[in-house]
Formats: sequence, C-alpha cells, structure tokens
Amino acid sequence: MRGRAPRPFRACPGPTPSLAGAPLPPRYRRTRPSPNRKAPSPMDVGTLAFSALYQFGDAFAFLVLSACGLAVIFGMMGVINLAHGEFIMCGAYVTVSAAHAGLPLPLAILLGALVAALVGALVEIVVIRHLYERPLDTIVATWGLSLIATQGTLILLGSTMAGVGTPFGSFQVGGYSYSLYRVVLFVAALVVLAALYALFNWTRFGVMARATIQVPHMAAALGVDTRRVYTLTFALGAGLAGLAGGLYAPTMTLVPTMGTTFIMEAFVTVVVGGADVFLGTAPAAAVLAVVKATMTSLYGQLFGQIGLLLAVIIVIRVLPRGLSGFLLRERA
Amino acid sequence: MAILETRALNKRFGGLHVTNNVDLALEPGEVHCLIGPNGAGKSTLFRLVLGEHLPSSGQILFDGEDITAFKPFQRIRRGMSVKFQVPGIFKALSVRQNLEIAMQHHYEPAHLVAEIGRLLDFLKLAPDADRLAGNLSHGQKQWLEIGMAVSLKPKLLLLDEPTAGMSPEETHATGEMVQRLNADGMTVLAVEHDMAFVRQVAQKVTVLHLGQVFAQGTVDEIVADERVAAIYLGQVAETAHA
Amino acid sequence: MNATFRFFSRLEGPQTLGRGPLFWLGFLVVLAGACAYPLFSDGYTVGNTVYFFTWVFMALGLSLIWGYGGALSFGQTAFFGIAGYSYGVLTINFGAAYGFTLVALVLAVLFAALFAVLLGYFLYFGRISGVFLGIVTLSVTLVLERFMAQTAGPEWHIGKARLNGFNGMSAMPPLTLPWPGGDLVLFPDVELYYVVLALMVVVYLGLRILVNSPFGNVLVAIRENPERAEMLGYDIRKYQLGAFVIGAMLAGLSGVLYTSWGQYITPSSMGMTAAALPIVWVAVGGRSDLTTTLVGTLVVLSVFQALTIHGSQYALVVMGVLLVLTVLLAPQGLAFAFARLIARPFRSRKTGDV
Repeated sequence: MRGRAPRPFRACPGPTPSLAGAPLPPRYRRTRPSPNRKAPSPMDVGTLAFSALYQFGDAFAFLVLSACGLAVIFGMMGVINLAHGEFIMCGAYVTVSAAHAGLPLPLAILLGALVAALVGALVEIVVIRHLYERPLDTIVATWGLSLIATQGTLILLGSTMAGVGTPFGSFQVGGYSYSLYRVVLFVAALVVLAALYALFNWTRFGVMARATIQVPHMAAALGVDTRRVYTLTFALGAGLAGLAGGLYAPTMTLVPTMGTTFIMEAFVTVVVGGADVFLGTAPAAAVLAVVKATMTSLYGQLFGQIGLLLAVIIVIRVLPRGLSGFLLRERA
Repeated sequence: MAILETRALNKRFGGLHVTNNVDLALEPGEVHCLIGPNGAGKSTLFRLVLGEHLPSSGQILFDGEDITAFKPFQRIRRGMSVKFQVPGIFKALSVRQNLEIAMQHHYEPAHLVAEIGRLLDFLKLAPDADRLAGNLSHGQKQWLEIGMAVSLKPKLLLLDEPTAGMSPEETHATGEMVQRLNADGMTVLAVEHDMAFVRQVAQKVTVLHLGQVFAQGTVDEIVADERVAAIYLGQVAETAHA
Repeated sequence: MNATFRFFSRLEGPQTLGRGPLFWLGFLVVLAGACAYPLFSDGYTVGNTVYFFTWVFMALGLSLIWGYGGALSFGQTAFFGIAGYSYGVLTINFGAAYGFTLVALVLAVLFAALFAVLLGYFLYFGRISGVFLGIVTLSVTLVLERFMAQTAGPEWHIGKARLNGFNGMSAMPPLTLPWPGGDLVLFPDVELYYVVLALMVVVYLGLRILVNSPFGNVLVAIRENPERAEMLGYDIRKYQLGAFVIGAMLAGLSGVLYTSWGQYITPSSMGMTAAALPIVWVAVGGRSDLTTTLVGTLVVLSVFQALTIHGSQYALVVMGVLLVLTVLLAPQGLAFAFARLIARPFRSRKTGDV
C-alpha cells in the first residue's frame, strides 16, 4: 500500500522541431510529509520534529546515494563522470528486470549494482584509461557515453518500463503517514558510508588505492598495479551509482533519461564537498539536505533544487576547494 | 626608503609556523639573495611577497604602499615581476607571442614589434622567434621567462631559483643577465641554492632558518659566518643519516 | 588610418587558421556561393539551411569560451533558452510593429548577457576550476529546464505570454524588418537566409579580430598557463568573464533566431540532450579555431539531420559515438586535423615545428 497516488507520467514534450527530441526526465514521486492528512489537528512539537527529521533523512539519503559513486571516482581519480546518471539508470533497469524475473528485491538491487560495476570496468578500460592526462576531455567523452546509453536504451527498451511497487508500505506518526521504505533508504545511505570507510581504511585494496592516488609513481614502484587500481576504483564508483539506481528503482518511473533526476543533486554534493568522500561528501550532503528539505517543504520540490543550486554557487564563491578543501586546509 | 619591506611577517599552516616574524628590507637598486637549507621557509616567504599566500599576520610594503591584502596581479601592476622555478611560459604559443602577451600593455602598439625584436636579441632568441615555446631547450625557456618578467619594466624582479637545472655556463650567463639588469637600476630578490650564482650577483644575502631570519650581510660576511655553515652542515648530516 | 589598418590586420593572426590571399580568395568564393545558393534552390530548402545557420552562433561562442579560453561551459543552452523565451515574451506582449522585433532581439541577447555576468561572477571570482565549471553550468541549465517545464498552469504568464510548461511557447511573431512599402516579415525563406548569413559573416570576422587582439592573446595565455598570465599583471577573472559573457550573448543570439525561425521554443531546448549537442559540434569540428568550428558545426548538423530521417534516437547515438571517437582519436577535432593536413604543403618553413 502506498501513501500516495502515482503521478501521471508525461514523457514527451510534444512535437518538437528542435534537435532535442528526447523525453524529459520524470519527476520522481516525492514523499512530502504526508499527503494523507487524517485529521486537521495542529501538529504537536514531537510530530513536527519527526516530520522535519524524516524529510532531512530523505534528502540526506538521496544526496549521499546519488553522489557517492561520483565522489569516489572524482576524489580518487580526478575524473568527473558525466555518464554517472546512466550508471544509475543501468542499476535501476537491471534491478527491476531481475525483480520481474522473480529475484527477491534486495538481491535484485545487488545484481543491479554488480552489473553497473562491470559496465564501469569496461568503460574504464575502453575509454577513460586513455584520457587521464586530459580531465576536460574525460568529461566530454563520458558525456558522449551518456548520450549513447540514454538513446540506446530508448531504442532497445522503449520510452518507459513497468516498475515494481514500493515495498514495506507506510507507518503513522501523529496522524501523518510516512513511507517506511524512505527510512530504509536512509539506513542504506549510512551503511554505504560506513562500508566505504571500512573499505578505504581497513582493506588491502583501500590502502593500495589511497597510495596510488597520493603518489602514483611511488605506488607503481612498490609493485602496485596502478592501472588495475584505477579500473577497480572506476568500477566501484559505477557500482555505487548502480546501487543508488537499484535502491530508488521501486520509487520511480523507469525511463531512459531517469539519470538526469539524480545528477544535478550528485554534482552539487560533489562540488560542495570537494575531493574527499568522508570529509566532503558526507558533511556536504548533511548541509545540503537541510537546505533542500527546508526549501522543498516550504515551496515544493523544484525550489528545493533551486535552493541547492544557489547554495552551491554561494559556497564555491566562499570555499573554492569545497568543504573538504576547507577542512583539510589546516592540515596542509 | 626601502622598495620592499616586510614587517613581523608570520604564516602558519595549521600547527606549522613556516614564516616566523620575518623583517626584511630591500634597498632600491640592490641584488638580494635569499638562501637557507631545505624547509627554511624561502618559498613561503617568496609566495607571501608575491601574494600567492596571504600572511597570518604582519605587513608587506612595496614602494611605500601597504600591499598586504593585494592580489598577485595588483602587485605586478604596482611594479613587481616574477620568474618561477619551473619555467612559466605558454608552451603551445610561439616565442614571439609569449613576449607579445607580456608586453602588449606596456608599449605603444606602433612600437611593439620593434620592442619585441629588441628583447629577442637581448635574450639571444631571435632565430627561434617563431618556434613554439615548449620546444625550446631548458635554458632557453628560462631566459624566455626572464625576458617576459623583465619586459614589464619592473621596479622589483623576483627570481625563484633562476638557475635550477642549468649547466654552469648557462648559470654564469644568467648571472651576467641579472647584473646587466641591475646595472640599469632594477632591484632583484632571488631565492637561490647555487652559491656560485649567489657569489656572482648578490650584494646582500639573507639566510632563513626554521622560518626566521638567521643571518644577514654581504656575501663575504655570510660565507665567513660559522653558524651559517653549521646549519647547512646540520642539514647535510641529517640527510646523510636519513 | 594606422589604427584602422591595425584593426583589420587582426583578421589574420596566430590565433586563427587561414591567412594570405589564397585563404581570403577561398573565403570570397565560398561567400559568393552562399549568396548565390538561394537562386538554385527552393524556399523550403533555403529555410532549412537557415535552421543550420542559427546554431552556428552558439557554436562560435562555445569555441571562444572553451577552445580559446580553456573553460568548458555546458551552460550554453541556458543562455539560448533565456534569450529565446525573452524574445517570445517580449514580442507576444508588444507585437512586431515599428521594428520592435529587432529591439526584442537586442533586449533578449542583453538579458542572456546579464544572466551570464551574474553566474560568471560567482564562478570565475570563486576561482572555479575547469571540471567544476562544467558541472555547475550544466546544473544551472538542468534546473532552468525543470523550472520552465513546470510552468504549464495558467498562473505562469508574463503579461499576455503564457509560458506553457513542457509544451513551450509558440506563435510569437518572426523577426520583422521595417521596410519602405510595408514591413518585411522574415519567415524561414530567402529573406531570412540573407539576414542570418550577413550576421554570420559579421560575427565570424568580428571574432577573428577579437581573438587576434590583445584580449584574445590574454585569453589563450590563460588557457595555456593561468598562473603565468596573472603574474604578467592580468586580472584573469575579468578576461574569462568577458569571454563567457560574449559566448553567452552568441548563444542568446542563436536562441532568438531559433525562436523566431520556428515561432516556437520549449524547455527541452535547454535539456541534457540539447546541452550536449553544441559540445559535439564544437569538439568534432575543432574547438581551438573559429573556422574549423564553423565548418564542423555545419557538417555535423547536416549529418545529424540526414540521420534523423531514421529516427532522432539513432542520430543521437551516432553523435555520442562521434564525440567519444573524436576525443580518443583526434582530440583537436576532425575538421581541425583535416585543415592542418591541407595546410601542410603550403606552410612556409619558418613557422616551424607546429
């Protein structure tokens, strides 16, 4: 049982003589604190606090999950992956297909992440590897990949794909209903952050990766296969994107351009955060989540995004190297 | 009046006190060399003067004006000019264009071509004027950058290890170039490792150690100073152990 | 006299391919061909050619920002959209009489410029590095698109002009020249062709002069080595902002011409796909030269349209492949590589090892 009615989906902007005939992204179905108002009684403080917390958690999870794949790749390799949204789309499509085929949803989500990671490894080997000296060209090339992926999916799978329902239903607090799945997403975001922390600090791969990033030639001299580290790092970023896609797949309409729903938030979080996942992405997501949740609950989703963008533009004027640059500066 | 003066200049990076209460004064027309063992804070002081870092506290005066908060390009416009350690040139552009970019706002358009030609001769780069700057030899790149720095007609020329990576002959030629510029009245502040170069050009030497001014004087006084030798030797001993 | 000569001598210089009598003779031949073209074609085809021409301005602007200035802006379509919508709102409200459409054109382009100044101030004065500049400008574009897409309701109107959400604005008057004996309405036909062609020639030559001027010198210096450029006393932020604003105005000009051409503009003209296309034209053509950008844009657009017959998705996949291959195999652009190849036998010895 869902707490709200699905919105009608309008895919195409009508006849267009323009070159840009691609369907627009769907607006993902929002959880504003409950559309189902049971009683018009005034909210007490506890309810209000829970509602604010819930919205913050929702926004935080969305920002962290959208951004962490992008942030890992940017932080470790200095590459901005403009096909990030398409890796998310890939994860979502695989998840939903697997779920339709009868796989339990959690396994389907992991499968989505895995497939995205494999595609990521392939992309790194075929394209990205040759462009490390030219960061701007990497953006351009990944944008080309994004075009290919979006339009290729449109050709092969059509303009939309039947989704799966949001699991777990809803729960009530103070006469308002909330989606339980959103809480699961928040927990998932925290788990992903913790897992990344463990990965980069406690595993052999993590240590090698950090060594490669800090002093590439030294790492190479010490026998680290730096090319493999880069491939694995890119695959990790792509896999995290796929995971985000899989996790959000049950809450969205599946269309080939669904990646654009995520990338703005992902970009913004990475720009504000800077090059470090833990000192950058996580605190940036927390700060931006407050902005977004506040603006969204006051003026609606679009203004949540506009608020985010304005916050970013102001932040970069003040802190050109992002939050992590600011936090790390004192250590330099 | 000093042309460049730093007053109680401090720079901290986190807990690290890299520039510690440095008072420095350059008289107009002198060639002043800044030396010191690795990690003495020479580069930081250089960057503070240039405006690439802002000091934690203290003042920088240039030609009597407080420039402590100025951006680098504003300092350049007041009459500073700089040559970096790694040749800062426009590699994908021709030698002539490199000079044109440096000089275009300092000369009348009608005279620009002739002035560029004169400078090319001075730098012994005339035969290479239409080559890409990135294809010059290392020494030629260094001279091109000195040429760009000099073409601004600065009151104060800042040189960051101008002879790094040069052969002894090139080092000597660079020294002569600096002496000729100085003879025309230019003040020069150079960070330098190469003592042969320092002996050739310096009229005054400041030794930095652990971020502080350790000693100051003429080349002969500094060379004769046993404490200075000790800190260099200490460095040598440390690196030998390391 | 001398100053005038110097001004026009900048039509050729180190920042532009093509110099000497042979090049300019070729230029005149192509121009004469372009002028004669409508005589041998029908109104519909000519109108379609104008459609190609409208995009060239945006491409040239991007070449200035990216190819010459070294800053990758993905936000060109934002300025395109802002100017296009502005033109629509102005002309729907005030009509086309007394040459007002031309005033609307100028105002719309200025409006795009104003937006570029605001955005550019925060970006360049915040010292945003290359990679971030791209994604922030792209984010701005995407948010603008989403904003315009949700303006379907009747409450979204400016004066008489409804914004119409996804479906976009339509039915604004085309550009209209006041003309003795009755206004000349520039429908997509021969008249519009000559007007846009003339604009294109003026902009192309004007940009050639600009990039070979001291301003252009500093711009390429910033691309090559921003620290050195600053240490020569240039406030590099102002130069970058200047290029950004000029590029935005050219994108705005494209937006106005496009809107006037089809009497139509939609939010999707600012979307992700639309934003990618200028990058494709300019990258494939050869971003670091105006001529290769211009030629490349027209060629890629023709190929694109030829492919669109089989469906625009297929055409876009081909564009994506083209972009990836260009970046991997000919980073300076296909037209640029081709131009170098042609120029080789003609080049004089002393230009040396380019």
